[in-house]
Amino acid sequence: MSFIKTFVGAVALTAFAGGATAAERIEFMFPAPVQGKLSREMQRIVKEYNASQDTVEVIGVFTGSYDDTKIKAQAATEAGKPPAVVLMGANFAAELAMSDLIEPISAVAPEGTNLDAFLNEFWPAVRANAKFDGQLYSIPFQNSTPILYYNKEHFAEAGISKAPETWAEWIKAAKKLTKADGERWGLMMPSNYDYNGWLVQALAMSSGGSFYNTSYPGEIYYDHASTKAALKFWRDMAHTHKAMPTGVTDSKAVSTAFFSGKSSMIVLSTGALSFVRNNAKFDYDVAFIPRNVRNSVPIGGASLVSFKGTTPEQKAAAWDFMSYLVSKEVIGGWSRFTGYFSPRKTAYDLPVMQEFVKNNPDALTAVEQLKYAGPWIATYNTVAVRKAVEDEMQALLSDEKLTIDEAAARAQKNANEVLKPYVESTALRF
Amino acid sequence: MAPYLLLLPALIFLATFTYWPMAQVVFASAFEGRTIGSATTYVAFGNYLRLLDDEDFLGALWNTILFITWTVIPSMALGFLFALALRRSGWLSNIHRALLFFPTLLPLVAAASLFIFIFLPGVGLLDYYLAKIGVHGINWLGDPDLALWSIMLLTIWKNAGYYMLFFLAGLQSLPEDAEDAALIEGASWWQRQYFVVIPMLGPTFAFVSVIAIITAVVQVDHVIVMTKGGPNNATNLLLFYVYQQAHEFYDIGKATAATVVTLAFLLALSALSLRTMERRVHYES
Amino acid sequence: MKAEVAATEAAAAPVSTAKATLRPWPALAAALFAAVVFLWSAPILWMLLASTRPESFGSLDMARLLPDTIPTTDQFNYAIQDGDWIIWFLNSFILVTGTLIVQLVTISLAGYAFARMEFRGKEILFYVFLFQLMLAPPVLIVPNLTTLVHLGLYDTLIGVMAPYWGSAFGTFLMRQTFRSIPRDFEEAAVIDGASWRQILWLVLLPLARPGIIAFSIVSVVFHWNEYLWPLMVLNSPENMVLTVGLVSFALGAEGASDWGLIAAGTLLVVAPLAVAFVAFQRQFVNSFMSTGIK
Repeated sequence: MSFIKTFVGAVALTAFAGGATAAERIEFMFPAPVQGKLSREMQRIVKEYNASQDTVEVIGVFTGSYDDTKIKAQAATEAGKPPAVVLMGANFAAELAMSDLIEPISAVAPEGTNLDAFLNEFWPAVRANAKFDGQLYSIPFQNSTPILYYNKEHFAEAGISKAPETWAEWIKAAKKLTKADGERWGLMMPSNYDYNGWLVQALAMSSGGSFYNTSYPGEIYYDHASTKAALKFWRDMAHTHKAMPTGVTDSKAVSTAFFSGKSSMIVLSTGALSFVRNNAKFDYDVAFIPRNVRNSVPIGGASLVSFKGTTPEQKAAAWDFMSYLVSKEVIGGWSRFTGYFSPRKTAYDLPVMQEFVKNNPDALTAVEQLKYAGPWIATYNTVAVRKAVEDEMQALLSDEKLTIDEAAARAQKNANEVLKPYVESTALRF
Repeated sequence: MAPYLLLLPALIFLATFTYWPMAQVVFASAFEGRTIGSATTYVAFGNYLRLLDDEDFLGALWNTILFITWTVIPSMALGFLFALALRRSGWLSNIHRALLFFPTLLPLVAAASLFIFIFLPGVGLLDYYLAKIGVHGINWLGDPDLALWSIMLLTIWKNAGYYMLFFLAGLQSLPEDAEDAALIEGASWWQRQYFVVIPMLGPTFAFVSVIAIITAVVQVDHVIVMTKGGPNNATNLLLFYVYQQAHEFYDIGKATAATVVTLAFLLALSALSLRTMERRVHYES
Repeated sequence: MKAEVAATEAAAAPVSTAKATLRPWPALAAALFAAVVFLWSAPILWMLLASTRPESFGSLDMARLLPDTIPTTDQFNYAIQDGDWIIWFLNSFILVTGTLIVQLVTISLAGYAFARMEFRGKEILFYVFLFQLMLAPPVLIVPNLTTLVHLGLYDTLIGVMAPYWGSAFGTFLMRQTFRSIPRDFEEAAVIDGASWRQILWLVLLPLARPGIIAFSIVSVVFHWNEYLWPLMVLNSPENMVLTVGLVSFALGAEGASDWGLIAAGTLLVVAPLAVAFVAFQRQFVNSFMSTGIK
């Protein structure tokens, strides 16, 4: 407890030094990731923060899904009520920055804050998505990577001794675990919009690709070999190996299938770790996403951003609250509660975190996979660009006759179409 | 002066929250831009031409037509049949009425979440019992050929009891004598419904059809919760298309143009249904 | 048509009751219908079971419609702990009634003008009204939110209600209802020297009850269920309504589904309306005929 007090004391002092006297009211919009239980925990953290000092009063605004959160924050901003702090999908920061909707963190933090040193306390994998155009625009708060969850009892029953490490092993295991008539599937992966694109990216990265040009977001690699490999792997699992249901499976269907023993392996976010840990009634474990060419996954999760149009007082309050949220203690506590890994590397130095990781080796696997993690696709009109490949992946999962080349070409064409205005106003304009 | 004063309160709200924003939308539809405020390039009808080029939009238009047809007709027909069956009060029919009406009271977001479970492949309610009769592996929401129909099923389930209520009310207000007269003349049950009851319920049918069409078109929560328009746009409806263009893709040009087209479409539809409603009522009185 | 009907009235009345009991098939039909009702209520039955089962996330038999575990109140306890139910109920109640009361005033006035008065531009104005009939709120979220901010109504329940206060559908319905009332009543009142205000309040509105009730049902059901618009307008926890509240504790954005909790929460949301319906449905259905107007 004492370190919290010290920390809180330090924060209160800085706020006073800034000259704030009356409590500054700001809004903090957050979605409900994974489970409703988390929104209650989030409101508790907000309350604790409000009680810990009297210069800032944060109003925790629950805003539904990630999409609803983005819509609401943006609509409020356009209407002249910008929220000072929003927990936003990590890959939206670039786009919001492009549209000039959010403040760079340097404009929110007090002058002279060493943001480079600050960012260096975060895992290298999460840094790229936090920046745009060389500037820091968001502070990572809860991050995840896709990870393989598997039912150890099913594995033992099928005589498989260890988690698959390569795609060849993955396919073999999935086939072996599958039982006829949909009684049990070897593998399930969510293919609904959003999750779909994230996992295609993960598979493409495992095949050695980078999915998009990380140094220039106007280029997308949907018709490259690595993405085609991803599309083919997923399609084949359903149609050729028949180890996965055809058609689209929602993430809720995937988690429910795993809990009910209808699927032996699933791919879900590490953000679902606590959820799985608390509800799996059988022996399970997690493993890295198997490699095709190499081990590599994109990060996911959410970061804190501050919308444009707030007063300097609100900015100061926003910074104070954001610093509180990403303080080692709070961010570590949130990570333990949710299963998201803490993007702040130094949080793992805390004794309580080391203890936790020791007791929950699955949480350690999630952190170790970070060494192989890269940025999440973030570009102009990200959702539309992502949808271009998701539509094709969904079509491939239900239409056996559609060829990979055809699907990849169309995804590329549609993505290019979406990106055209951006490309014309950036790379092609000199 | 009086008539205008009477219209004024309603007009104030309509002007503030319908006409003024609509005017903004129509104006914005002639520009290309990312947010309404930042509209910069004047493109005249460019956005509308882009819409015609957009397969997703045309698909959404077609899906909407299917969705309206196949939710309005079955839910009204069922609502009417329910009402006929439960016409007379009694403890049993009161229980039946309450059970059939119950889905109406569920918030659409909640009903949609529950139906995700019902449609869940393998362990969901439908599959669990279908498996008992040997039907396996139907992916209700994940198969592009089925997904829209699954969502229609939810909509019909949710609304039939609602419409039943209006039909019940309509039936109560019918004079029994008319039917009894037909009975004396030896008309069968079906003949009586067809030749006597249905024509006399004209106004109720007209009223319910307007409600049903509005309900079918203006609701979007279930699409957002269940499929987000997927798989591969199979459940993309006009309103969801507008929602996505405006709030996810920030293509304000396309969003506003699609809004105008949607409104024109709806306007035609409502004019048509109101015309019917009015004619029916005239005939009746 | 009515005259014909009246002519046969006297002879017909006793026959219908006698006939119904004679045939054998009504029992079969009743059984069949009960089966349909059962099928229809299967999702609700499942909700009830799911909300009382200890297992909430997924098991092979979670879809069973037979009680197979000792019922627990765990899910309800979670739901009650997780939500500010009293505040949510209160706000939803205020939202629904506030919307309806103002709507009834505006639509009665406008409906009366369209039904009974002659004035210049009546046709055009009527079409101007109809324009709003099928306008879906999600389409106009951004401009309407901007307006609310300018009016100082952002994050208020009034802000959620205001866009619905002028209702084209209601106006149209009231116009129809007023037009179906014979003019004789008013003419008598006019002779007695009544003003239009008195005519509307004392003569027409009481006779328009079926129309008012029908509209009330439509309005209450719609606003009780609405999610997206209140989510956009409201921020403060003390202004939250039921639908948004329900989503806030029962639905997760990423992957997981707490089926039992969703079921329990939904049942809590629905309970008051369901009780009201069971208690008042006969009065409601009958009220349509009580005035003798259809």
